[in-house]
Amino acid sequence: MNREMEEKLKDVCKRVVKEVDALIAYKRKKTEPREVLTVIRSEDEVDSISLSPLSVNNPAKLLMELLKTEKKVAVVAKGCDAKAIRQLIIEGKIDRDRVYIIGVSCPGVVDYRKFIKKIDDLSDVERVELIDDKIVVNGKDEIPFSEVIFENCLYCSNPTPVIYDELIGEPREGRVDFSDIDEFERMDREKRWEYWAKEFERCIRCHACRNSCPLCYCTECIVDPTNLAISPMTPAEEKATYPKILGKTISISDNVLYHLVRVLHHAGRCAGCGECERACPMGIPLRKLERKLEKVVIEEFGYDVTKEEIPFLSRLEVMR
Amino acid sequence: MVKIVVFACNWCSYAASDLAGVSRMQYSPDVRIIRVMCSGMVNPAWVLYAFKKGADGVVIAGCHPGDCHYMVGNYYAQKRYILMRELLKFIGFEEERLKLLWASAAEGKLFADEMTKFAEELEKLGKQNKLSEVKE
Repeated sequence: MNREMEEKLKDVCKRVVKEVDALIAYKRKKTEPREVLTVIRSEDEVDSISLSPLSVNNPAKLLMELLKTEKKVAVVAKGCDAKAIRQLIIEGKIDRDRVYIIGVSCPGVVDYRKFIKKIDDLSDVERVELIDDKIVVNGKDEIPFSEVIFENCLYCSNPTPVIYDELIGEPREGRVDFSDIDEFERMDREKRWEYWAKEFERCIRCHACRNSCPLCYCTECIVDPTNLAISPMTPAEEKATYPKILGKTISISDNVLYHLVRVLHHAGRCAGCGECERACPMGIPLRKLERKLEKVVIEEFGYDVTKEEIPFLSRLEVMR
Repeated sequence: MVKIVVFACNWCSYAASDLAGVSRMQYSPDVRIIRVMCSGMVNPAWVLYAFKKGADGVVIAGCHPGDCHYMVGNYYAQKRYILMRELLKFIGFEEERLKLLWASAAEGKLFADEMTKFAEELEKLGKQNKLSEVKE
């Protein structure tokens, strides 16, 4: 993702923005070298668009929100973003005809937490580019990409968008690699529990992983307080029988319950954008759980997330 | 003494347990049966909730594949069971504590035998203390 691709994207956006009501792209923040999603509606705003290895966020969720009010929306999507959008399309949440997808072939993105450790003064950073295997900051400082790459991108299966109307950059080959999961599975059972108990103990249950996930769109979630009215007339017995599966404490059993149920709801749907892991303030390796299920879905059910037309959980499987 | 929670489907497994009862078959007294309308409605969260509340083992019991009263409910149950078992195994929880059982309404004997066998297995595994919040 270098200057050349950015210029090309701007050209495409200038043309596309006239045909649509809104365009979702990345824009640099003013105070730090981060990029955020932005909604563009006119041609003169296009120059503020940016595309760099710091364009990390998944626009699928914003796209779904925008389509509630706008007729046609264009979106800049990397491989995993397109996968999420495709999933939302087959689940009937997005209308394909109302979306224009500008696909970007993605070599992987930068982990911002690793990145800031390599940079002395963040306010100095003007532009970040990926040239060959190096992250080039301000056109001179070089950092090897392997040192700052977002770990999830190492195992990316779809660097080229699965659906797009227009593609920027050369198509890339993805790979199916579960070596880290296999390695973890070879560990002793007690060792595995020790590892996850330590990780889950740190969870503060802020539910950021759920809120940031493009596929967690349920209006009513298991973690939300139930909205059943309690009046002074409500008898104690009725109050006691109101459903409350998940407690509000952050004990290990509640945390395990929350995370396992969250991950189970993503079986055969997860786009692998790593938004959950990025949003986690405690740095819990949530993608490991998702990747485990991806592996099960492929190996035990033979389901290919990028090809099937029926969502995994509603497909009828006859197993013996 | 172990605690086993059984989610038994109304049409087959619950009838099987009933048959075991009226036929006066002896089986483990550690079994607590919760009747559900279909094994396909068993939410994975319930299973984890049972573990949280101190269950040593959980059984999801339904009709044989193809016999479901609602045509396909048990296929969904099986799918969820596989995903759940793999996940529990992955985080280092004893996946043997979760069991899927097909028992038709005529299989009272099978139900009783399986429950006794499962209780013995759990006895060997010992108390479930990884997810349990119950202090004894």
